[in-house]
Amino acid sequence: MIGLLSYLVFFATVATILAIAVLGLNLQWGNTGLFNGGVAAFFGAGAYGTLILGGTPQAGHLGGFAMPYPLALLGGMAVAAALAWGVGRLTLKLRHDYLAIATFGVAVAFENVMRNAEWLSGGAKGLRGFERPLQEGIGSGLAYNALYLAFVASLLLLTYLFLERLVSSPFGRLLRAIREDEEAARSLGKNPAKVRLTAFVTGSVIMGMAGGLYATFYAFVSPQDVLPILTFQIWAMLIVGGAGNNRGAILGAFLMWGAWTASGWALSRHAPVEAQIYAGSIQYVLIGSVIVGMLLWRPQGLFPERLVVSQSGGATRPAPAK
Amino acid sequence: MTKTGNLLRTGAAMGLALAAMSVADTAAAQECSVKVGAVLPTSVDWGRPIAETAQWVVDQVNEAGGVNDCQVEMVLRDTQVDPKVGVDAAKALVDLDGVPVLLGAVSSGVSMPILTSVTVPAGVMQMSCCSSSTAFTALAEEGKTDGLWFRTFATTGVQAAVGAKVAQDQGWKKVAVFYKNDDWGQDIGKLVAADLEALGIEVTASVAINDAQPSYRAEAASALSGQPDAIYLALYPNEGTATVREWISLGGTQNMILANSLKSEEFRENVGMDYLSNAWGTDTASPRADSATAFVDAYQARFDGPPNGPGLANSYDATMIALLAMEAAGKDATGAEIAAAVPRVTDPAGTPVTADSAGFTQAREVFAEGGSVMYQGATGNVRFDANGDVSAPAVVWKFGEAGIDEVEYLSLDDVDAFMSALQK
Repeated sequence: MIGLLSYLVFFATVATILAIAVLGLNLQWGNTGLFNGGVAAFFGAGAYGTLILGGTPQAGHLGGFAMPYPLALLGGMAVAAALAWGVGRLTLKLRHDYLAIATFGVAVAFENVMRNAEWLSGGAKGLRGFERPLQEGIGSGLAYNALYLAFVASLLLLTYLFLERLVSSPFGRLLRAIREDEEAARSLGKNPAKVRLTAFVTGSVIMGMAGGLYATFYAFVSPQDVLPILTFQIWAMLIVGGAGNNRGAILGAFLMWGAWTASGWALSRHAPVEAQIYAGSIQYVLIGSVIVGMLLWRPQGLFPERLVVSQSGGATRPAPAK
Repeated sequence: MTKTGNLLRTGAAMGLALAAMSVADTAAAQECSVKVGAVLPTSVDWGRPIAETAQWVVDQVNEAGGVNDCQVEMVLRDTQVDPKVGVDAAKALVDLDGVPVLLGAVSSGVSMPILTSVTVPAGVMQMSCCSSSTAFTALAEEGKTDGLWFRTFATTGVQAAVGAKVAQDQGWKKVAVFYKNDDWGQDIGKLVAADLEALGIEVTASVAINDAQPSYRAEAASALSGQPDAIYLALYPNEGTATVREWISLGGTQNMILANSLKSEEFRENVGMDYLSNAWGTDTASPRADSATAFVDAYQARFDGPPNGPGLANSYDATMIALLAMEAAGKDATGAEIAAAVPRVTDPAGTPVTADSAGFTQAREVFAEGGSVMYQGATGNVRFDANGDVSAPAVVWKFGEAGIDEVEYLSLDDVDAFMSALQK
C-alpha cells in the first residue's frame, strides 16, 4: 500500500509540474493564438537557471551560487523571461506556422548550446550538485516527496487562479481579440505587438517555473531533458485537454501523462514475454492513436473553450463555438 | 474480461493450489518468484538487443533453478531515452513491483536522475550496463550513491589511457582529437587529451563532431591547421567515415588512433584498407578468459548472429552479477544487502565460475558454504572499485585484410599500472 501511495505521489508531482507548463502554453496558444514550438527551450531555461543559481559549486562549469531556493527558482523564471523577451522581439512578427518554425529552431539551438557550452551547463553529462531544499531535515523518502507535491500543487493552483483572473479581465478579452482579428484590435487603438509580447513572456515564465520545479525534483538536468519530444508532449496535453480552457489544460496534462506511464506499466505487466521487447514501440503507437483520435473526433479537446459574451447584444450575439 | 473468465481463473488457481499442497514441499518452493526491474530503451533499435541479452541471462538462471530457489521474473520497462519516462518507470518498478535490484538505464542522462531520485532514496541497487559518464564517479566520491550504484561499462579512462600509449609507442609528437559530441565523446576526448599531455605529447586541437551533418570539412580543416602527426578518433562509424574521408582528402596524416566504437567492418569498408594501414585501434574487454569466447559462442547459438551491437557483453555481465549477488545475499535481501554481496561475486581470490547456467549452479554451492566466487564474465573478470566502476583489460588492434587483428594485449594489471603512472 505504501508502495502504491509512494508511486502516486511521485506520479502526481511530475504531472502537476507538466500541468503548469501546459497552462503556460495555454496562455500563449489557447488565449492569444501564438504557436510556440519551442516549449522545451523555456522549460529548460527555467531548469538550468534554477540549478545554476541554487546548486553547489562544481568543477569545470559555471554555477554553484548556492542561492536560497526561492531566489534560485525566481532566477530561473527570470532566465526564461529574458530568453522569451529576446525571442519574442525577434520572432513575434511572424504568424502561425512561421512562428512555430522559428521557435522550434530556438529550442533546438537551446538544446545544442546546453550540450556544447560545457563552461555554462556541464555539457552533455548534465548539471548536478543541487541540494534539494529542506532535504537535510526531512530526508529523501515519501515524506519529502509528499511535501514537495503539496508545494508544486499550491503553485499550480496559484498559476491557475492567476490565469483565470487574467483571462476574464479586460486584458484577457484583448488577448482573444488579437487572436481572432488583429486588424480589428488595432483599429480600436490597441497595440497588438506589445500585447503579444506580454502574453508570450508571461506564458514562458510559467513554463520556466515548471522547468525549475522539474529540475528541483530530480536535482539534475541534462540536454536529454529538453529534447523536442518535450514540446510535443506539452502540446499533446493541451490539445487533448482543450486549448483555451485552463481546467482542460490541467486535465490534459494529468490524462496524457497518465496514459504515457500507464500504457508502459500495463504492457510490462500484461504483454507476453516475447512481446515485451516491443512494448516500447507499441506504446508509441497507442499514444499516437489517442492524439489522432482526439483530433479527428473531438478537435476542441475534452474541455472546449467557454466563450464569454462580454455584453449581451441580442441579435449580434456571436455564434456558439464551432 | 467477463465474469466467467474470472471465475474460471479463480477455479484454476484454486485447483493449482490444491495440487501444489498435495505434492512435496520442494515443488511448492519452486512456485515462488523474485522480481528484478529493468529500464532500458527498448523502443530504440540498438536498445532492444541489450534488453534481449538481459532476458537471456534471466532464462539461463531460471534453467539453473532460479535465485534462492525462486524463478526470476524480469519486469522490463522502456525509457524511450526520455528521462521523465525512464524515471517514472523506475519509480513504478521500485514502488509497485517492489524490486530490490534495478538494471539500467543506458543513457547517462536517464540513469542519473533514476539514481538520485529513485534508487538511492529507496535503497535499491542499480546496475547499469552502459552509462559512461564520469559524473557517476564524482557522485560516488561524494558518497551520494550509498554504495548502491554499479556499472559494467569500463570507464572511458581505460581506452583513453591506451590510446595515449599507442601515440607514445609510435613516437607521435602532435595529435589532434576528434570526439563525438555526447557525454561519452566529451568525456573520452577530454581524458585522452589529458593523458597525451601527461606523456608530453602535444594536443593540437580537440574538435567536436556533431551527429548527422552533411559534411565535416570545416571540422577537418580546423584540425589540420595544427599540423598533427596523428589523429585520435572517438566517433561512431557513420560520422567517423565522413570525418576521415574529409581529413584524408584535405591531405591530413593517415596515422590514426581509433576508439572501440570504430571497430566495425562498416568503417573499414567505407574508408578502405588503403588508408587504414597505419590506423591503430584500442578496445577494452576481449579478455583472455575462456568465458569471453564462450559468451560469443553462446550468443551466436542463441540469437543466430555475433554480439556486434554496443553494450551486449556489458548487459550480460550486469544482469548476471546482479542475480549472483541476489543469490549470495540470500532470500528477501534488501537492495543494500545485495549491493554489499557484490564483492563476494567478483572476489579475485574466489572460486572461478563461468558465465552460464552451470556457472550459476556452481556459484550457488559456493555461496551456500559461505564462500565467494570470481565471476568470469563476457567482459572478463569484472572487478568493481569503491565507486562502482570497473576497470578492464585492453587490446590494441589493427584492421587486416580478413578482419580485425589484435596487436597487443594489456592485462588488467598492465592497464592499472599504466594508468597509475599517468596520474603522477
